[in-house]
Amino acid sequence: MKTSFKLDAHPRRPHPLSEPPAGYFDKLPTQIMARLPQAEARTAASGWLAWLTPALRTSLASVAVLSGFAASFYLSGTPRLVPSTASTAALDAVPRTELVGYLLTSGARVENSDLAVLTAAHPNIAKGFIQASDEELTNALDAQPSEDLTYL
Amino acid sequence: MEDHEILLKFQDPASRNLAFNQLVRKYQSKVYWHVRKMVVDHDDADDLTQDVFVKVWKHLENFRQDAQLFTWIYRIATNECLNFLSSKRRKFLLPLNDVGAELAAKIEADPAVAGDEVELKLQKAILRLPDKQRLVFNLRYYDEMPYEQMAEITGTSVGALKASYHHAVKKVEEYVTRTTDD
Repeated sequence: MKTSFKLDAHPRRPHPLSEPPAGYFDKLPTQIMARLPQAEARTAASGWLAWLTPALRTSLASVAVLSGFAASFYLSGTPRLVPSTASTAALDAVPRTELVGYLLTSGARVENSDLAVLTAAHPNIAKGFIQASDEELTNALDAQPSEDLTYL
Repeated sequence: MEDHEILLKFQDPASRNLAFNQLVRKYQSKVYWHVRKMVVDHDDADDLTQDVFVKVWKHLENFRQDAQLFTWIYRIATNECLNFLSSKRRKFLLPLNDVGAELAAKIEADPAVAGDEVELKLQKAILRLPDKQRLVFNLRYYDEMPYEQMAEITGTSVGALKASYHHAVKKVEEYVTRTTDD
């Protein structure tokens, strides 16, 4: 006849299975603390970014960088173009007598090269004050030393 | 450190981490063994124990203190264990007995049980119990927990728990008796 097993008569083991690895309970708090969510403030600050997918976040960063380049190019490039046009227009508004008076009294010397550069940049600028035909101008220029012709 | 001190320090953001570290150190062993007896495997118990404390961290701010902190943590641990075991069955489409067989194989390989034939049969008998009845058995037999506290953890009446434990003991004794040689 089998002896019936009685639980009360059996020595009770509080921990019936093998112990965890040595030092397990020393390391466990550190592991748990490392898994905890970060501070609320940081979560709130980056909360809206967390809703974006990684691809969207990359796209957003690229757009921001490109916008920065475009803004810096626009802000630095535009002012250089405006003054040259504006200065030419302002010079056109000055009466001829004042211009001649300034050139005579200031001692400024206008060379052929100056006139050549100016007419090359603005072909019609001389038409208002040079009373000569194209043929006369060509003949006058042909008479100049050969090194000055390179400006035309 | 007393529970109310831990909770008080936890409310202060400056001492929150320190308070939680104290809480983990105070209850880690009890939670680990509660979980380990249910899932048997150390690695599973390790993962679940960490999950339990992460959940405690997330919800401790809303802990209403109308239950003991220890009871509340045990309830979280119990739910984690039951969810783990049921998801394991769903994942592998295993019937109840197959998960029991898997856990029994782990018990047989456990050096603490190997060599003690009666203890091995006892552990196998406990594993044959349904999860919730096994939980009741563990809380009463191993942790010697009062039925009132068990009722708070499981959300079951004291009378139902007493009946469940009584039936569990009978099943265990019958299994060990039946499988033991003369």
